[in-house]
Amino acid sequence: MAKLSRRKIADVWAGEIAAGRDITHQVAAYLVDERRTGEADLIVRDTEVALARRGILVADITSASQLTSETRHALEKFLSTNMDAEQVAYREHTDPHVIGGVRIEAAGTQLDATLRTRLNQLKASKI
Amino acid sequence: MATDLSISELSKDLRDAIEKLDVAGDIETVGIVTRVGDGVAWVHGLRSAGYSEVLLIEGANGETVEAFALNLNEDEIGAVLLGSDESVHAGAKVTLKGTILDVPVGPELLGRVVDPLGNPLDGGPAIKTTQRGLIEREAVGVIGRKHVHEPMMTGIMSIDAMFPIGRGQRELIIGDRQTGKTAIAIDTMINQGRQKTGVVNVYVAIGQKLSKIARLVERLKEEGVMEQTIIVATGPSDPASLLYLAPYSATAMGEYFRDNAQHALIIYDDLTKHAVAYRQMSLLLRRPPGREAFPGDVFYLHSRLLERSAKLTDELGAGSLTALPIIETQAGDISAYVPTNVISITDGQIFLETDLFNQGIRPAISAGLSVSRVGGDAQTKSVKSVGSHLKLGLSQYRELASFAQFGSDLDEATKSQIEKGQRLTELLKQHQYQPASIWEQVASIYAVSEGAFDAVPVSKIKDAQFALLTRLWTDHKKDMQELTKGNEKISSDSKYAKLILDAAKSVAKGLEE
Repeated sequence: MAKLSRRKIADVWAGEIAAGRDITHQVAAYLVDERRTGEADLIVRDTEVALARRGILVADITSASQLTSETRHALEKFLSTNMDAEQVAYREHTDPHVIGGVRIEAAGTQLDATLRTRLNQLKASKI
Repeated sequence: MATDLSISELSKDLRDAIEKLDVAGDIETVGIVTRVGDGVAWVHGLRSAGYSEVLLIEGANGETVEAFALNLNEDEIGAVLLGSDESVHAGAKVTLKGTILDVPVGPELLGRVVDPLGNPLDGGPAIKTTQRGLIEREAVGVIGRKHVHEPMMTGIMSIDAMFPIGRGQRELIIGDRQTGKTAIAIDTMINQGRQKTGVVNVYVAIGQKLSKIARLVERLKEEGVMEQTIIVATGPSDPASLLYLAPYSATAMGEYFRDNAQHALIIYDDLTKHAVAYRQMSLLLRRPPGREAFPGDVFYLHSRLLERSAKLTDELGAGSLTALPIIETQAGDISAYVPTNVISITDGQIFLETDLFNQGIRPAISAGLSVSRVGGDAQTKSVKSVGSHLKLGLSQYRELASFAQFGSDLDEATKSQIEKGQRLTELLKQHQYQPASIWEQVASIYAVSEGAFDAVPVSKIKDAQFALLTRLWTDHKKDMQELTKGNEKISSDSKYAKLILDAAKSVAKGLEE
């Protein structure tokens, strides 16, 4: 049998999640059986993209310090309006290296408004 | 001055600069590098990336490495890096630049040595042009083209007389290593300066030794041609991606002049190395290898490049881009994959033979295997009138000469044909960096083909030619300047024919055996 593309696996998995069924074990068994466990991270990324197309957004939010509830609420609103998401789930990360601001990564897209990136851009523009 | 600045001002400047920056206010698509090596990075994500689109890969130290997408697969993108792969690591973030590859174009590039991305390599100031040209661009269509009808004089007698090149033509220079391929191309560039044709030269060095490029630049400066020349240089240590891009970006630079009603000449030195660089990239991108391990689209690689050289219609400004691609053969084998491809794409070829080169016949142009398919209409009337029988005569001579080696008795007609052939061969020998103008070519060929030098020994033909040209220039400068326009047909009853023959006969008297 021809090797299934990651995109197809992700599409099936996302479809099942959207329908409320959990097939994580089956996907894991398939990957082990096909010796494709090395692709697990990429399949998860693809699945998040496929979920986003179905209105379910999984986002990673990185900031220098803990987010306040106000900020969280604002970010949720921003994501649901800008990324056409009906349902938003997010994982919070704290990383002092970003110095300030926030970075949102979701479904193969990114919004980087951290101070670290701004400073790097400033450095690159050789002012 | 630095000492006058206060800390508060520095802080304000920095804040202003941050405010002005177009920072990440937009949501951008990102991918990640899954594998990297040998100048190729495989990227996951970025489904919206287009073919040949520029990708920005985040380097290890915050810097950005550019790459361009060449393989768009279902699950990943194969991208070729334009810089070193040392700072790119698996997991690095990749974003889209939003453009396909382009280079600066315009007259500001004249006199400069640049890399395929338009960055200066000559230590000069940064190049600021008002326009940029796409590296990959579709060639002009049928309606935008006109037939090739203006001469592109190379200054090399055997080419201008037997295999004339017209503006907008693609004429291949093909031969083994060390047969003088680059020398022909350089002479042609120098001739554009000497004859003040106004043609812009673009020389593309693909994987050439940097010392060779440096020598070429020096020579062009000495000859005063550098001001009308652009050199796009890549060395053997450059990544294959740059070698692959070099001819395309140089063509974009040449096209600027073509599209602005000017004439440009582009020399690709050489397309064999270009095909090899593309083969390396293709194999690393896991594309299936075909004949000689080249990928299946190696024909298209060169056909789409050379198709961009054209003569435009008057409505489009009547500009032209003439291409002289160079191909290196192995042991004279013109039936190898890349040579046959390029022969079939171009409008003719100048074939250089090692044997002729070793016999001292330089340029070592083979009269039998060389051809110019469209240049006839572009040849100046005067050169055409004296050179029409040259090719046939020389081909017959070389055939007869091989028989004559057996030492059998020959009839008078054959003997005279061989002798004339020897004289013509001797005449067509030409030193490097000494391109001949139209009147010099016409006078020399006419004198020998009309038998004015029949009594001169073969070894003294070049002396006779020199003496003839000196005399004509001293005594009939105005006539010769008129002849250089090339509009006059040389026949037995024309005044130029008489002038040339009279001078040739008197010169010959002093050199007879």
